[in-house]
Amino acid sequence: MKHKITTVILVLLAAFITLGGTTSCKSKKRLAKEAAEAEYKSKVADAVKDLTAILDDETAWTLEEKEHRVQTVKDWNLQNAEVDDLLFQVEKKLARERAQAEKQEQERIEAEQRAQAEQPKINLENSFDRIARAASVTQANNLINETLGLFATNNVPVLIIISQAAGFNDYDRPTTIENYLNYLKDQKVSRNKVFNLKFNDNGKITEVELIKK
Amino acid sequence: MKKILAILAIVLFAGTAMAQEELDFERQQAIDSLALEKVRDLSKYIKIVGSKETAWSEANRVIDRAEELFMTNAEIGVSSIASNNIKYYKVRPYFEHLMRLNYDRVEIEWYNIEYVSDLQRQPDGTYVGIITIFQTFRGYDKEGQLAYKDTTKKDITVYVKRKETQIGGRIIGFWDVLLGDMRVKETTNK
Repeated sequence: MKHKITTVILVLLAAFITLGGTTSCKSKKRLAKEAAEAEYKSKVADAVKDLTAILDDETAWTLEEKEHRVQTVKDWNLQNAEVDDLLFQVEKKLARERAQAEKQEQERIEAEQRAQAEQPKINLENSFDRIARAASVTQANNLINETLGLFATNNVPVLIIISQAAGFNDYDRPTTIENYLNYLKDQKVSRNKVFNLKFNDNGKITEVELIKK
Repeated sequence: MKKILAILAIVLFAGTAMAQEELDFERQQAIDSLALEKVRDLSKYIKIVGSKETAWSEANRVIDRAEELFMTNAEIGVSSIASNNIKYYKVRPYFEHLMRLNYDRVEIEWYNIEYVSDLQRQPDGTYVGIITIFQTFRGYDKEGQLAYKDTTKKDITVYVKRKETQIGGRIIGFWDVLLGDMRVKETTNK
């Protein structure tokens, strides 16, 4: 009798353990599935929220941050129609923004290069003005000597454009830089601006083209 | 018929050639201004050389520049209210005379610089015009008192010719403005 009872208990225990284990495994899978679904939904929601914000310009992100976010969403591979549609629109928008940014960068570089190329002209015009406005002959002569240091020789030709028409220049009689700087000192006025400069390999000016202001 | 065609061809050719040599308004204006500018430059040079404060070396440099403005053998008239005679000097002697004037201080002003005869194209391609100027001269003695004053009206003949030169391996066409004689037209003590 005692042996029978023990056997029944053991059988019941085995059955309980077997049934209980099966139920627990099923529950874990369900939970994992639910968690995965929840995560997917959360990612879809995040993706929709972020992509919509990007599309509506409602983020403070930089272009690089927006591009990085889009890449993250793409890497999720959500295969959601709404997300895919938003991705399509956002990628088009960011491509436009990227092209615009690159254009602006190119323009900035070109403007910088132009400014760099203009700088020697501006410096020379400033020297012309300072010589013309010098308070004394001595001061003007010092400025002339200082300015002549920018030139390959004191006899660098100076061409003065008096009129331009159809790509054709009319010039005044050519002079030399030394005579031109003295002319500024004598006349006390700088009537011409720098149109073009030529340099040698040492960075010294070898030809000056001026044009009437 | 052949004669008529030949005459027509000559007329057409001459017309085309003239049209090519005609300057448009803007170029003409640029040349007019250039010539006026040269006369104004001259007025500054006269002022610098006339000034007793100008160092001898500076004055000589300026005279060199002033000489470059003039045609060879151009003459400058000098008058005085004390005499009816007008003395004509070559350019360098004129400036040397100006440097030697026996005043302690000299003031020379040019004004009303304008064309009395516009630049006209001559058969040889030179443009010739006349620019008139008024010059007021004041000479002061050691005491700073005005010792002499006159106002002179002078006519300057201006020659403008297209020339070419080679610079940096390329041909540069330029307008060469040269001043001719500077004739005294009228002198008053005003």
